[in-house]
Amino acid sequence: MKTLPAAMLWLYRVALVAYPRRLRLAYREQMLQTLRDAYGDRNIGAVHFWFRVYKDLAQSSFTERFNMMRDFVFKAPIAFHTAALALVLTLLGGATAITMQQMLRRGANQPQIDMAQWYAGEIGAGEAPGHVIPPGYVDLEQSLQPFVIFYDEQGKPGPGTGYLEQRIPVPPSGVFDFVRMHGSENVTWEPRPGARVASVVRRINSKTTGFILAGRSLRLVEEQETLLWRIVMGGWVVVMALLLAGASLLDRAQRARPSAA
Amino acid sequence: MSKAGAIKSSAIKPGDVLPLSPVIFSILLALASSDKHGYAIMKEAALPEGGGVIMGPGTLYGSLDRMMRTGLVEETGVTDNERRRYYRITKFGAQVFSAEAARLSRVMGAVRRKALLEAVRS
Repeated sequence: MKTLPAAMLWLYRVALVAYPRRLRLAYREQMLQTLRDAYGDRNIGAVHFWFRVYKDLAQSSFTERFNMMRDFVFKAPIAFHTAALALVLTLLGGATAITMQQMLRRGANQPQIDMAQWYAGEIGAGEAPGHVIPPGYVDLEQSLQPFVIFYDEQGKPGPGTGYLEQRIPVPPSGVFDFVRMHGSENVTWEPRPGARVASVVRRINSKTTGFILAGRSLRLVEEQETLLWRIVMGGWVVVMALLLAGASLLDRAQRARPSAA
Repeated sequence: MSKAGAIKSSAIKPGDVLPLSPVIFSILLALASSDKHGYAIMKEAALPEGGGVIMGPGTLYGSLDRMMRTGLVEETGVTDNERRRYYRITKFGAQVFSAEAARLSRVMGAVRRKALLEAVRS
């Protein structure tokens, strides 16, 4: 009579978690005893034995969990369909909201893309940055107006219209390194905590070399995003409440039917 | 288990739950001769005359659980210890077993009458 190693018994006991709780609690000790008996009585190799045991565990635990779900659907069809509908509506609503948020965020890059392209084209054609960029003062934190800044090859600010505390801010040097390699970059830039800017940076590589940055505060877009999520969450709560109320009414009507008959 | 897992024995006839799955049939076959504990059922089901159904503890106790809920088998209340409980076939289980055996017998009778095994072999 072969004795089942304690470690293998422990491992099998742990693996029983794959079964539904009710079945596990009712039959765990019997299953372990059957395993001990089968191991002691086996006429096949240990590897073959354990392969067979765990294959059975995988198949039967899947079957039991599937049966449990099927029983739940048969016993509470309204609850099941309500949960399924709630999941579908949540996924659909979430996907729609994320799409709208992305559209808002991408829209925030306009008109900066056109501006950066135009200014880069003009400077690249030989115009002096100070001549092309008009005088102006846009406070990055306060104003929603777009602004444009020229930076030289080393990333030092030249003429520009965007200011933060009376000074032209400079993006992290990694942005210039990236644009130097790839030609352009659309990046959310936060020159100060809370002051986020949707910026488009383009490389200028002709007689004059450097970078042109066109940006605009994200404040309005972020407010719109916040509003969007509030509407989505509010709508979701209302839809779920209606769904629950409908399911509850349907359930009551169904329970009342046999007694009325 | 096919249909037997989803319906209660009090409301159905033995023929309603047929055909049985090989696992359920071999458990009933093992219990038809005498009351047995889990491992004894498993061992007998694995024999060629027991159906040749090789199953592990998970399949065995999952099936026994459904069969008890359907009313095909029940615990005897007799135990060697808490870990080794005995099961027996119920009256309804015996009727289902007989009906399934008769069905299989009719199928095998037809196979023999028409000499289908010989026809397939040749």
